[in-house]
Amino acid sequence: MAQPIVTPGPTSPTPRAPRLPRWLFWLIPLALLPLPLYLDQYRQYVVNLILVYVPVAIGFNVVIGNLGLLAFCNVAFFGIGAYTSGVLALKLGLPWWVTILPAGLMGALAGAAASVPALRGVRLFYLAIMTLAFGELLRWVYIRWVPVTGGSFGMSVPPPNVFGWVLDNEGHKYYAFLALAVITVVLTDRLLRSRFGRAFMAIKDNEQAAAAMGIPTDRYILLAFAWSGFVVGIGGSMYAALIGHITPIAFDLTELILQFAVVMVGGLGSLTGSVLGAALITTAPEFFRPFPGFLELLFGVLIVLVILFLPRGLASLLARLHPLFVDRYYRD
Amino acid sequence: MALLEIDNVTVRFGGLTAVDEVSLTVGAGEVCAVIGPNGAGKTTLFNAVSGNAAIGSGRILFQGEPIHGLLPHQISAKGVRRTFQNGGLFGDLTALENVLVGLHARVESGILGVLLASPSARRIETEATARARALLDLMEIGHVADQPAAQLSGGQQRIVEIVRALATEPPLLLLDEPAVGLAPHMREQLVSIIRRLAGQGIGILLIEHAIELVMSVADRVVVLNYGKKVADAPPAAVRADKNVLEAYLGHV
Ligand SMILES: Nc1ncnc2c1ncn2[C@@H]1O[C@H](COP(=O)(O)OP(=O)(O)O)[C@@H](O)[C@H]1O
Ligand SMILES: [Mg+2]
Repeated sequence: MAQPIVTPGPTSPTPRAPRLPRWLFWLIPLALLPLPLYLDQYRQYVVNLILVYVPVAIGFNVVIGNLGLLAFCNVAFFGIGAYTSGVLALKLGLPWWVTILPAGLMGALAGAAASVPALRGVRLFYLAIMTLAFGELLRWVYIRWVPVTGGSFGMSVPPPNVFGWVLDNEGHKYYAFLALAVITVVLTDRLLRSRFGRAFMAIKDNEQAAAAMGIPTDRYILLAFAWSGFVVGIGGSMYAALIGHITPIAFDLTELILQFAVVMVGGLGSLTGSVLGAALITTAPEFFRPFPGFLELLFGVLIVLVILFLPRGLASLLARLHPLFVDRYYRD
Repeated sequence: MALLEIDNVTVRFGGLTAVDEVSLTVGAGEVCAVIGPNGAGKTTLFNAVSGNAAIGSGRILFQGEPIHGLLPHQISAKGVRRTFQNGGLFGDLTALENVLVGLHARVESGILGVLLASPSARRIETEATARARALLDLMEIGHVADQPAAQLSGGQQRIVEIVRALATEPPLLLLDEPAVGLAPHMREQLVSIIRRLAGQGIGILLIEHAIELVMSVADRVVVLNYGKKVADAPPAAVRADKNVLEAYLGHV
């Protein structure tokens, strides 16, 4: 049967929202390139840690911010990535760079597994507690599976190696980490500004209406979790390379709260926010160093203040400064 | 063959029979209004068609194929689109992004194309965005395209929801009380939109309380009361029907 036609006009008089030219983004990593020239090894380590938390926060934010599900299994993906990278390097002797993709893929697999309760219709607190349990279950495995993981004492990972180069100082790691952070940001940005990302946000705002628009919601929930796991898993392999030693305690509830704080302070659902949150939360303890003994207190106050005055995080501050910084989920 | 054929459909919630052996048809280009007091089962009938409520017995055929038992997204993909009584917009997304979600099935870019920003994926995206903008312009709300849907006026939200539903040119559109809360000039605009869509061959099933609007735009009026169909006739005939008066006098 003939399709009825709703023919739009040839030209569009709609005024378009102001947009930053996309290439401007590349100036940021470019400007960051000479950083190791100015930083000592410790400061460089802190910057590297920020770069680890970039994919970690991005991935968390895709599920809790964009898809809008209360899933707290991010540290599970982080741990899976770190252990995959570590085990492949230690037991199989693979160079670090070869383990990055497997770490991401194992993270994606863990993401798919963690999405099962959500696919069964579990939501809100029930989902929160089930996904928390998933993370704790994995931690139990890290502790018990001694021959592979080294148990509670953990495992020491050989220094990261990229195409035969051993990255044995923080400045060298920095370039590998910067590249990975940029790649995960760019890929996630592309995903979010496509029909996939719009489907995530549609599901967050109104699941029934999303389905009525022809979106197979289950498939997109699975995709969001898997993508989250992939990106966070890569963050895990970066963490293993940075720290050089992986223990189960690094993937406990305190770590989860820290990662949650990064996303909340940065801004739920905002990619830019994830990056800003990673930078602020990772460096904050450095600024509090002059006040020993007050670290936890100041840290708590900082988080409370940001969330109180900027409920949508640092990203909303940026968006308020100028409409150019408002996130847009399409391509003109 | 009718575009939509609802055949002896019953929907129960526990002991409550919300829709009771209702049959009706909608043809291409036809505007069929469903009226009845609150709780009569109108929205439930829509939910049955769109796959949001399971039917206890009966059949629902779209373009001659049974669609009952399919999932909502499958029914939508077949070309049955709906709006929601309580507003179904994605509040955090802009009007434009809402319409783009409506175009989801038309934006056929694969995930690899998207991640690699392949030329074809980019082209599909820019074309969809242009189409979404053009549709908003066509309905005279292009100026709010980049505002979050939650910040639009009630009337603008209703229009965006209709635009979003018809973005893929569905053969059948279900509108659940689209005129609620609309200012008079927006109502006129709504009537002209419905007429235009019907003129283009789209079948429309319309739930509406505003009797004048129904009388001016519907080809046929179906009256539900306690889940049962009590009348099915052209507007003028329904107006004179005793059953209808009773249904309304009993409740309103
Ligand atoms: N999901 C549901 N679960 C239980 N009862 C429902 C549900 N949806 C609707 N009902 C009941 O079915 C009846 C018909 O409701 P509805 O279809 O919304 O009426 P209308 O749209 O005509 O006002 C009402 O009594 C309502 O309470
Ligand atoms: Mg209703």
